[in-house]
Amino acid sequence: MIHLPVLKAADRKFQANPDNAPTEDIREELFQLEKEGELEVIRVPEPYMEVKTKFGRIKKIPVEKTWHHKSCGQCGHIPGYSTSIFWLNRAFGLDYYDPTDQTSCTAWNYYASATSNPEAQAAVAVRNFAAAHEVGYFPLIHCGTSFGHYKEVRHALVHQPELRRKVRKVMEKLGKKLVLPEEVVHYSEWVLAMKDRIAERQVVDMSNITATVHPACHYHKLIEEDAIYDSEIYGAQRTAIITGTLQALGVNVGDYSTWFDCCGFGFRHILVSRDFSRSFSVQRKIEVMMEEVNPDIVVTHDTGCVTTLDQSQFAGKAHDKKVGLPVISDSQLAAMAMGAHPYKVLQMHWHNTDNTKFMQKLGMDTDKLWAEFELETDKIKRGEKEFLTWEDAEK
Amino acid sequence: MASENILVIGGGPTGMEAARGIADLGYKAILVEKRDRLGGTPDEAQYAALTPDLRNAEEAIGEMVAAVTDNPNVELLTGTTVTSSEGEVGNFKVKAVQNGSEIEIEAGAVIVATGFQHFDPGRETQKYGYYEHDDVVTLVDAEKLLKSGNFVRPSTGEKPKSVAFIQCVGSRDRQIGNEYCSKVCCGMSSKQAIEIRQHVPDCKVYIFYIDMRMYGYWENEIYWPAQEKYKVNYIKGMATEIIKKGDGLLVKGEDTTLRRPMEIPMDMVILAVGMEPSEGTKVVADIFGLPKNKYNFIETIGGPLNTVSTEKAGIFAAGACTGPADLEDSVSSAGAAAMKAISAIRKIGVPA
Repeated sequence: MIHLPVLKAADRKFQANPDNAPTEDIREELFQLEKEGELEVIRVPEPYMEVKTKFGRIKKIPVEKTWHHKSCGQCGHIPGYSTSIFWLNRAFGLDYYDPTDQTSCTAWNYYASATSNPEAQAAVAVRNFAAAHEVGYFPLIHCGTSFGHYKEVRHALVHQPELRRKVRKVMEKLGKKLVLPEEVVHYSEWVLAMKDRIAERQVVDMSNITATVHPACHYHKLIEEDAIYDSEIYGAQRTAIITGTLQALGVNVGDYSTWFDCCGFGFRHILVSRDFSRSFSVQRKIEVMMEEVNPDIVVTHDTGCVTTLDQSQFAGKAHDKKVGLPVISDSQLAAMAMGAHPYKVLQMHWHNTDNTKFMQKLGMDTDKLWAEFELETDKIKRGEKEFLTWEDAEK
Repeated sequence: MASENILVIGGGPTGMEAARGIADLGYKAILVEKRDRLGGTPDEAQYAALTPDLRNAEEAIGEMVAAVTDNPNVELLTGTTVTSSEGEVGNFKVKAVQNGSEIEIEAGAVIVATGFQHFDPGRETQKYGYYEHDDVVTLVDAEKLLKSGNFVRPSTGEKPKSVAFIQCVGSRDRQIGNEYCSKVCCGMSSKQAIEIRQHVPDCKVYIFYIDMRMYGYWENEIYWPAQEKYKVNYIKGMATEIIKKGDGLLVKGEDTTLRRPMEIPMDMVILAVGMEPSEGTKVVADIFGLPKNKYNFIETIGGPLNTVSTEKAGIFAAGACTGPADLEDSVSSAGAAAMKAISAIRKIGVPA
C-alpha cells in the first residue's frame, strides 16, 4: 500500500457547480426575450424528467407530448432507428406525434460549407419548431446533426436582433410565429432519462454483452454545456449519454483510447472525401475498439455515426483490416432489451455489418425471427398489404 | 464614534502582511480567517518551496504567521467566516460566525485578502484526464509530492523516468472564459522542474508551453538554470490529449517548432493549473457589495497607480482576490492596502 499526499484518480471527485459555468444560461435570456415580446418560448410539457448537464445545470426532458423531428439519413439508411424510438413510446403508452410536414434542417450541407446562410438556416429551424408548437407538441430531435445545429441556431437567434428581425419576416410570410423551445432535446437524452423505466421492462438479459460507445461530435462538442453529464459516469468528465443507458441495461461498457474522435463522417469528408471517411472510421475507431476492447457491439446515437461506423467496414474488409463489428443505436438496443422484434421493428437487416452473431449471443434464434419477418413481407409481395403495421410488428 | 480597528479578511500571505503592517504602524488589526489556522493557500496546499528563490515554504510562511501571532496589535479570529456588513468608512459593523457563534466586529476600514483557488481541470480540459489517470497531477499535487521528499508516480510509488508539464491549463483559454495569464504557473513549473531533476536526477523533464512568461528576474533565476544546469526540455506546443498507454501515459499534441503532431510516452504529467477567484472572494465581494470583473475577481478602481482601492470608500482589496498575482505582488499590495486603510481612518480623525 502506497501512502502519498496525492489522491489517486478514483478518489478525486469532481463536483460541477453551475455558479462556475463559463457560459450563460441561454434559457434565462430566452425568457427575458419573451417578456420583451421578441419571441415565444415553447415550454417543456409536464411531466418532465430532470437531468444534469456539463456544468451542473438542470435540463428538462419531456416524457411525452413529443413531436418527432426525424433524420434524413435515418429514414434513408437505417429506418429501424426511428421505428425503435416510436416503438419505445408506444410500449410505454406515451402520447407522441409523428409529423409528415417536417422539413430537413439542411445543416449537413451547411456544415460541409456547401449551401445556405444564417437566415435560411434559422428560418428552417423556427419553421419546424413552430410546426410542433402549433399541434401542441414539443420537438424531440432524432438527428444529432439537427440537434447540434438547432442549438447553434437558438444561440444565434438569442444574441442577434437583426437575425430575429429577418427570421420573423420569413415566419410572417409563412403565417407562423417566431418560437424557440425552452430546451433542445435529443432523443438519446429521452432514452437516457427513461433508462430506469426501460430497465424495469427489460426481457432480454444483456449482461454477457460488451459494448463500446461512440458519442456523436454534434452532441457533446457543439454548445457543449447542454450535453448530459453525470458524476457517477466517467466522473462527469465525459458525457453520460449512451453509457448511462447501457449500464442501466446491464451491458458492460468497454473503454477505448479514441472515444473522443469523430466517427469519420466529418460532414465535408463523407461528401467530398469519402475514402478518408472510410479509412478514418476503420483505422481510428473500429480497429482501435477491436484491439483494445474486442466488444460485441458498438452503440452510438446519431445517424451519421451509425451509418459511417457500420457502412465503412466493407472497405476495411476488402483491405484485410480487422473489422466485423456490428453498430446500432441506443434506441435500438433499448427496444431490443424490451423485446422489440429485431427485424420487423429494429430492421437490423438494413445494417451493413453482420449482426446475427451479436443477436445469437443474446439468445435470439435469428433464423426463426427472420422467418417471422418474411412471413409478413411475403404478404406485401403478394399484394395483400402495402406495408407492415404496428400490429404486424407485435405478432 | 469611528472605530480604530482595521478588519483584514483572509489569513494568507496577503492578509498576514497587511495585518503586520497595520500593527507595525501602531494601529489595531483584526485578522479573520475561515480555516482554523493561518497560512492561506501555501499552507493549505502544502507548498514545498517558494518561487523563485526555492526557499522552504513552511519556514517562510511560518515567519509570517509568527509576525501576527501574539502580536498585541493583532487580534486573530480563526475559524471565523464573515456573513454580513453594514455601515461606512469609520463605522463598519461586520457580522461573522466563529465556531458556530455569531460575533460582531466593528472596524473603521476593511482589507479583503481572500485570495484565489487553483483551476479545477475537471470543469474543462477533461482531455488531460486528471480524474481518469493516477499519474496526471496538478502543480498543487506535485508540490505536495516534492514537500514529502518522495517524488514518485502515484500509480506505482516508483520514481518517474519522464515527466511533462503542460502549461496554461485553465489560463489564456477563451474557450473556458479565462483569457488571462495566471502569471505564476510558468515560474512555478520551471521551479518544480528543477526540483524534480534534483530529486530524481535520471528523470527527463519536459515543459510544453504556448510561450514562457518569466517575469523580471525569473528569467535568469529559474528559466535559464532550468535549461542550462538542470537540462529541462522546453517544447513550444500544446498537448491536446492524454491517454493511457500500457503502464504509462501518452501525451498527444503539436510541436509548433518542428511543425508536426507529436505523441510522446510519459510516466507522469503535471498540469500547470491557473488561478481563479476563491469561493471566499466571491462571497465576501457580495457581502460588501464590491463589483467583480468578468472573471469574478474583485475590481479595483485605481488602475496601475492604485491597485487596492475599491468602489466602496474604506474597503480595500489586496493580493490574488483582485486577479492573478504572485507572492511579490500579493505582499506588496498588502502593504499598500494597509497604508491606504490607515489613511482612510486617519482622515476621519482616528488617531493611532
